[in-house]
Amino acid sequence: MRKGPRTPHRLRWLAFGSLAVAIVPLIVAFHWSRLGWQDEHLNYPSPASGYTQIVNRFGQPCSADAHQISMKWRAADNGVTYSFSFHKKLGGKPTAMVSDKGGRSTLLDNDVYGHIQNQHLQPYVEHGIYGYACRAKRGSNNWSTHAFGIAIDVSSAEEYMGKCTSTVNVNHAQIWKSHGFHWGLSFCDPMHFQYATDY
Amino acid sequence: MERARVLIAGLTVSLVVTIGLMAATAGTSPAPRPFGRPVGPAVPMDTGAGELLLAVVGGVYETRAEAEEANAAKPFGDVQGYYVVPVAQFQGFEQGAGEPGDFALVSVFRTEEGAQAFVELAAGFGYTATILPERVRSLGGLYAGLGQEENPDGSGPLMAPVAESLP
Repeated sequence: MRKGPRTPHRLRWLAFGSLAVAIVPLIVAFHWSRLGWQDEHLNYPSPASGYTQIVNRFGQPCSADAHQISMKWRAADNGVTYSFSFHKKLGGKPTAMVSDKGGRSTLLDNDVYGHIQNQHLQPYVEHGIYGYACRAKRGSNNWSTHAFGIAIDVSSAEEYMGKCTSTVNVNHAQIWKSHGFHWGLSFCDPMHFQYATDY
Repeated sequence: MERARVLIAGLTVSLVVTIGLMAATAGTSPAPRPFGRPVGPAVPMDTGAGELLLAVVGGVYETRAEAEEANAAKPFGDVQGYYVVPVAQFQGFEQGAGEPGDFALVSVFRTEEGAQAFVELAAGFGYTATILPERVRSLGGLYAGLGQEENPDGSGPLMAPVAESLP
């Protein structure tokens, strides 16, 4: 009986690897489609740099636009659902997961929120979730980025202002950053994600 | 000679065209800012002296030190919450909340909506906040948060008196 040439071990692993590379995205896609979500990435404004750009791009602090869109987010640790509002350019555009709120983009309520849910990082969203507030920065006379509706505080009790390390938000900070948000950890405010720099 | 004439004519035409273009573009006024004139990054430290304001109170204390300590224990995340001010800088503050000489945690507003929004913000942090039933007259003094509320027309912060706040 004639023996055929033996398949080299490496070739078998290569075949297995190729199969895995082909199947894994399909599984992930199926998982996402079951949830009805995808990163739409529609109409993101450019992140602003400095006060003048913030005003030119998002308008005055405490304007009607600054709090036009609202959303709810449940904290994982205490189960409280927080309702907060933000600027109309940062969300509110209808998607499979978000109803039409009259907003301009899919940034916050669909894309950032969706990524956090789909990557199973919701356990790292703890209590104290806030958005728009017509207030100055704490201990300062300057308008807070919250007054422009372009900042969100997450896990604020654990990630309090003045703490220069992160224990909770560090798990999803990369998602915010990859969607244009600047993380306040750089100025010892790890709860804070703002859609602007140099302010 | 002919070459010099052509050169001069060319330069003259270029000059006229350049001046014409400059005049045409310089004559156009810049587009108006879509959001009006920026109010500036700093909140104006307006005390609203003489105005009748709505005071939201978070507590009254006998000494400034006690009030400052209480205020430090009530952070509003990374935004400014209450301001510590002497009760005496508001006429009519006695409405069940303090006597002259006391210090209070206060934020003052010109509109009901502004005061109510602050009460909701405080409630979100788990703090009690009481709107005094009657407006108080500001006698000046320390800054107590005035201007950190929305103008009813939605254009930005409310920086000027409204009919209800005028005596």
